[in-house]
Amino acid sequence: MNLHEYQAKKILKRYGIPIPDFGVAESVEEAVRVGKELGLETAVLKIQVHAGGRGKAGGVKFAKTRAEISSVAKALIGMKMVNQQTGPDGVIAQKILITKPVDIAKEYYIGALIDRERAVPILIASPEGGMDIEEVAHKWPEKILKMPFGFDGALHSYQLLRLTKFMGWTGEEAKRGAKIAQGLTKCFIEMDASLVEINPLVKTPDGEILALDAKLSVDENALFRQPELQAMYDATQVSSQEAAAKEFDLAYIAMDGNIGCMVNGAGLAMATMDIIQLAGGAPANFLDVGGGATKEKVSEGFRIILSDPKVKAILVNIFGGIMNCATIADGVIHAAKELHIHVPIVVRLEGTNVEEGRRLFRESPLKIQTAEDLKTAAELAVKAAQKNRKID
Amino acid sequence: MAILVNKKTKVIVQGISGKAGRFHAESCLAYGTKVVGGVTPGKGGQEVLGLPIFDTVWEAKKAVHPDATLIFVPPPYAAEAILEAEDAGVPLIVCITEGIPVKDMLVVKRVMNASKTSRLIGPNCPGIITPGECKIGIMPGYIHQKGKVGIVSRSGTLTYEAVWQTSQLGLGQSTCVGIGGDPLNGTSFIDVLQLFQEDPETEGILLIGEIGGEAEEHAAQWIEKHGTKPVAVFIAGVTAPPGRRMGHAGAIISGGMGTAAQKYEAFRKIGATITASPAEMGLSIQKAMLHK
Repeated sequence: MNLHEYQAKKILKRYGIPIPDFGVAESVEEAVRVGKELGLETAVLKIQVHAGGRGKAGGVKFAKTRAEISSVAKALIGMKMVNQQTGPDGVIAQKILITKPVDIAKEYYIGALIDRERAVPILIASPEGGMDIEEVAHKWPEKILKMPFGFDGALHSYQLLRLTKFMGWTGEEAKRGAKIAQGLTKCFIEMDASLVEINPLVKTPDGEILALDAKLSVDENALFRQPELQAMYDATQVSSQEAAAKEFDLAYIAMDGNIGCMVNGAGLAMATMDIIQLAGGAPANFLDVGGGATKEKVSEGFRIILSDPKVKAILVNIFGGIMNCATIADGVIHAAKELHIHVPIVVRLEGTNVEEGRRLFRESPLKIQTAEDLKTAAELAVKAAQKNRKID
Repeated sequence: MAILVNKKTKVIVQGISGKAGRFHAESCLAYGTKVVGGVTPGKGGQEVLGLPIFDTVWEAKKAVHPDATLIFVPPPYAAEAILEAEDAGVPLIVCITEGIPVKDMLVVKRVMNASKTSRLIGPNCPGIITPGECKIGIMPGYIHQKGKVGIVSRSGTLTYEAVWQTSQLGLGQSTCVGIGGDPLNGTSFIDVLQLFQEDPETEGILLIGEIGGEAEEHAAQWIEKHGTKPVAVFIAGVTAPPGRRMGHAGAIISGGMGTAAQKYEAFRKIGATITASPAEMGLSIQKAMLHK
C-alpha cells in the first residue's frame, strides 16, 4: 500500500531524518494559511498523488512570492495527473504539500527494500540522486551500493563507514548521513515497509543533509498490525472499481480491454486474461474472487466489472476446488438477474459439483453461454464481445 | 515412488479447530491421507473428527509421530506456527495460509535454510498431493490420477487446470507440488525439480510459473545443467501490466524484471516445450514426453 509524500515524511521525521518544515493543504485558503504559518516568502508546492513523475507532469511548482502561493495552489489542487504510472485514467491531487525551497549542492539516493532473491532487507544508496534510480542502475551500476541489514533494522558500524565513503561524506556530514541511513532502515523494519525511498536526499551549500522527497510503501500483508498506516489508505488514488473491490476483499485490477473476467485464483485469473488475448480479444480487468467466494462476493464482482463501460462481454472461469460450482452458478444467476446484466456472459465451470452448476445455468432463463473447456470459453467470449460492439 | 509424500505419510493439522482446518482435515481423511491428529493451543485433550487435538506440535510429535504438518493458521500467527513445527522437528511443513507479512517470512526462511530436520512448502499454496496415496492440502482430490507427470506450480486453481488436463489425457500425475504465490517461500522450483529428477515414477515435468521474481529463470538454468527429463512450461501473466500485484503477493513485475516474456525466453533458450495457452498445458507435456 502506498503512502503520500507528506505521510512518508511525517513518519521518517520520527526516525530522525531531517526534513524541511512543510504543511499540507486541501484548499487555496489552507495553502495560504500554511504559507503564513511556515513564514514562507517563496515556496515549493507539490501535488500529493500515489504516482511518480510529478515534476515532469507539472505537479511540482515554485511560488516566487508569497502572493503567488495562492495562484499556484489553485492550479495544483484538484489537478489530474496522467502519465505512464497512473494509466489513462490518471489520478487527482486532493492535497498539496507546501514547503520552503532548498538550495541544492548535491543530490543523493537512499532507500531500502527486500531483496527477494536473497530474502534479506537491503539498503540501496547512490551519490546520483534526483534521477530514476533504475536508470542509474542500468547506466552506472558502480554508482549503486547495496548492503543487507539486520532483521532488526540495525546497520553495523563498518556498513555505515562503507556507506559514508561511498557517498563521499566526511566529518560532520558523515555523522549526519549515517544517522539518516540508520533511521531509514529502522523505519523500514518497524513500519513493515516494502519500500522506503528518499530521492533526492540533498546536501545544501551549508552542508545540511535533508530529505526533499520521501516514498513509503507498506507490505499489505502487514496492515493488520500497522493500524496507523492502514488508516492512511487513500481510496481516491485508485479507480472506484478498485476501491470497491478492496472493500469486498476481491483482487481487482483494471485493464484496457472489453472482456470482463471473473476467476477464482490469481494464477488462473492471469491465465484467463492471457487466453483471451490469444483468442484475439482484450481483457477489461483482472479479478480473483478467491477460494471462499460467497454469492454476495460473486454479485459484487459482477457489479464492479459491469461498472466499467468498456465491458462488452464477461467471461466467468471457475475451477471449483473448495469453491462449489453450484454456489458460483447461484451467484452468477442471482447477480445477472439483480443487476439486469446487459452484456453476454460466457461461463466455464469445472470442479466440485460441476454437474449441478451446469444444470443451474441450463435451466436459467438468462442467456448465459457455457463452455466446457477454457479455449472454447475464451473464443466464445471474444466473439460475443465483437458482436456486442457492432450493435453499439 | 513419487516425491515427499505417500500412503504411509502421517499428517497433523495445525489449526484443526478452525473452519478451514477442520473442513480440509476431513477432506484429506476422505481422500485416504493418514491424518493422525491436530494442534490447537488451548484445545489439547479434545477430539475432532475422531482425531486427538494437542496444545503444541511438540506434544503431537511425541504422541502421534507425524511426518508432516498441514497449517491452517491465520496470517498473524502462521509464521510462528511454521517455526513451531520446525522446532518440533516435523519433517514436512505445508503452509496454506495466504497473507503472511514478508518480514515474518524473512525470519522463517532463515530458520528453514538452517533446519536440519524440516522442509517447508508454501506459504500461500494449495499443498502437495501424490494421487491415490496422500493429499496434504486443499486441492480437489478427484481430478487427480496416479500417473507420470510431475507438476510444480506457483498457483492453485491454475494447477488444478493442468491436473485436469493431464488426467483427461491419461497421463496422470506422480506428485503435484504447489510452491505458492508469495515472494518468499520454503520450497523453490529447483528443490522440486531435483526431486522429480530422482523419482523413477516421474517421466515428465510440467512447470507452471507466473510473473514476478526470478525463480523460473533459475529453474531453467538448473534444468539445462542437471535435468534429463522432458519439461513443459506455462507462464501466467503475459497480459499483466507492470508494477501491479496480480493477486499473489509475489506476482509483480518490478523495474522491468519478472515479466512472463523473460521467463518464457529463459525456457526457450534451453529447449523446454513451451505453451502460451493455459488450455494446452496437458498437451504440451504430452508432446514433450513423446518427443523425448
